[in-house]
Amino acid sequence: MSATLSAQHVVKRYGGVVALSDANLDIHSGEILALIGANGSGKSTMSKVINGVVDLDGGQLLLDGKPVRITSPQTAKKLGISTVFQELSLIPQMSIADNIWLTREPLKSFKVINRKLLNQKTEELLALFEGTLRTKLKPDLPVSALSPDEKQVIEILKAISINPWLVILDEATASLDSRQVERLFELVRHWKAEGKAIIFVSHRMEEIFRIADRFSVLRNGKTVGDGNIKDITEKELIQLMIERENVVQFTKASSESESQVQASPVYLEVENLHTDTLHGVSFEVHEGELVGIGGLRGQGQRDLLLSIFGDIPYRGNIKIKGESIQFHHPKDAIKQGIALVPGERAREGLLYIRTILENLLLPTWNKYGFPLKIKKAKEDATRIGERLNLVMASLMDPVSSLSGGNAQKVVIGKWLLRNPQCYLLDDPTKGVDVNTKSEFYTLLTNLSKEGKTILFYSSDDDELVGLCDRVLVLHDGVIRAELKGATLTKENLIAASLGVSNGGEA
Amino acid sequence: MRKTSWETLTTKYPALFSTILLIVALLINFYLQPNMFARETLNSNMRVFLPLVLLAVGQAFVILGGGIDISVGGIVSIVNTILAVYVGLNGSIEKVWLFIALSIFAGILCGAINGFFIAVLRLQPIITTYATSFLYGGLALFILPNPGGGIPQRVAEFYRTTTPLGIPLAFYVIAILLIIWRYVRSTQYGSYLYAVGGKAEAAYETAVPVTWIHFSTYVISGFMSALAGIAITMLSGSGNAEIGSPMTLTAITAVVIGGTALSGGVGGITGPIMGALTLGIIQNIISFAHINTWWETFVKATIIVVALAAPGLINLFGRRKS
Repeated sequence: MSATLSAQHVVKRYGGVVALSDANLDIHSGEILALIGANGSGKSTMSKVINGVVDLDGGQLLLDGKPVRITSPQTAKKLGISTVFQELSLIPQMSIADNIWLTREPLKSFKVINRKLLNQKTEELLALFEGTLRTKLKPDLPVSALSPDEKQVIEILKAISINPWLVILDEATASLDSRQVERLFELVRHWKAEGKAIIFVSHRMEEIFRIADRFSVLRNGKTVGDGNIKDITEKELIQLMIERENVVQFTKASSESESQVQASPVYLEVENLHTDTLHGVSFEVHEGELVGIGGLRGQGQRDLLLSIFGDIPYRGNIKIKGESIQFHHPKDAIKQGIALVPGERAREGLLYIRTILENLLLPTWNKYGFPLKIKKAKEDATRIGERLNLVMASLMDPVSSLSGGNAQKVVIGKWLLRNPQCYLLDDPTKGVDVNTKSEFYTLLTNLSKEGKTILFYSSDDDELVGLCDRVLVLHDGVIRAELKGATLTKENLIAASLGVSNGGEA
Repeated sequence: MRKTSWETLTTKYPALFSTILLIVALLINFYLQPNMFARETLNSNMRVFLPLVLLAVGQAFVILGGGIDISVGGIVSIVNTILAVYVGLNGSIEKVWLFIALSIFAGILCGAINGFFIAVLRLQPIITTYATSFLYGGLALFILPNPGGGIPQRVAEFYRTTTPLGIPLAFYVIAILLIIWRYVRSTQYGSYLYAVGGKAEAAYETAVPVTWIHFSTYVISGFMSALAGIAITMLSGSGNAEIGSPMTLTAITAVVIGGTALSGGVGGITGPIMGALTLGIIQNIISFAHINTWWETFVKATIIVVALAAPGLINLFGRRKS
């Protein structure tokens, strides 16, 4: 089976906003195409045009040279186009098997679903990821009982179960751990050999260079470059994405003064912390220190931050400035000057339909009296916006009008007014474009220079190595390694994440 | 992961809570009324419970699909008044059959109207059916402004006294309902029902006919309400346009204590059937214990609050303990 899909001069408008103005793309079977672009460049819209979730306003799609209209996900499916949605299309209450085969269940007589065959077919699919999933998953387990990476795997299996010729992977690796990514790449190569075409949408440069044959770069809704991956360098690609020469530069705040940091008083002390996923974690963080938390996804990093923030129950001892504390509610933690910046900004960080002003001042409103001093509030919010280089039309616009990177700036911005002493960051750069990321790094190093204590969990290894004074690598709920100075390298970090060595720790 | 294990348990055994509640209620009732398992007593109880069972099953379909139907009481009233007015105390058997068929059709039509507004025009289920409940209740009052009318004595007697093989008629009806449910659950329609109730958006992206499934649940609810209306008419033997309205909340209560989440996508009809029986027994207990009848409403309301709060309370204690 050989096929070609071309998108030519695609235009897509949402109301007055032009998401795509001149997008072009060619994909042939037996080929992996990386669709690249900063946030808000139109990548997601492009994949939605191809899989029929939105209809285009101009331009055309050609399948094997003939114009086609893909008006619904059903049409796309019939044409053999399948999508791994970034915000999963799974039904939490239903079982793994029911989710994967929904609408395509094998039937017996009287339209009764053939459970045995259904489970058997599901087992076959699950076997593709065997060994990378925490437990051996049973087809009848409800999806709500799965961890985020397992859900992502099921979403991938669901997309591949229709045996499509074209698979769109929209940020499919974002919540997978490195073993699962490895397995996915093996499968992708296998699918390619079978003659399938794969469109790979990702922010992770390293993955793009490993897996893709060709690339297509979108910038502000226009295709600004395409070609073979082997003919281009990482730096050149990033330049295409961000126009000006602005490659991410990591500057460590306190690399020159490590001893100085060690001399500053201890801010946070964690002793023998236990939760459902943590099994005895102890460490100290000094004032003004930027400490990274690394490791594969779901090794307890999130629990660690949430325990300190008083959001989940734990056993063990947490001390702040030498005093034992026991927070029962995030408000206790906030009072003590602790701020949490979640990566799941839509769910945990922001009130999407409310204005930027309201979101920025959410933790601080009580400072503005009764009745509220709106003018002062607006001034303060404007100042924060300027400090963060927030790109917005007006403070009174809803947060939902911002791009992912700018929305994340609001999440951190809402704490700045309170001037917290300690920041807990839970994978804050997830799905954020390169430009915003580097602004974010500058902000972090500045905060750290001001003497703020920062605990920074990230799923991006480069970030941890480039930014942190020290990285604690979690594996199976314990600290597997503590990397700093010369031992803080990407190789050591990955090795420790996989639990294969102690990461060169002395 | 305490929450997950509770979720897994309730997803796997949605009728767990209602089974426990039913057994407790049965024991108390048995203590107060030792002859309750005698054929006569059992039958006189079951024939009273049956209309609510039918209503709860219809409601369960709607709630599973992610909606709610507040108009079921109105539909019961319409059916009751149609039968009481047009068949009459001296009507022929042919007339009885004709108007039973007609009232079932009326029930389906009422359900289809709800379904059209909610599934096709995408209006809020709770508001829409609240509005149509007045429409249907008003229509029933139009048909029969004052209580009266009736159905032939023979027909009422058939409903009240039929006990094939010594087992009350209601048990046969429940058995048939459970067999049909088992079948429905194992078909693609059953899968779609849970998918739509669970997360309609994801179901749409997966090419499930969401509109059609929503529509169908209201039609099923209309149909079951008509059956409940027929049953309650044969039980009472007469007509009253107000007969249905108190049944709506009771039916919803039965579904909720039956482990079918109001958010949709979780549960089944076994739980709601047991829930309906439990509520009937509680009514018995209250009358046997010589307590004021207003306690009945109080107890019902307490049960619905507890049933809604139970998962939350379990989580809270789980949090506190650790």
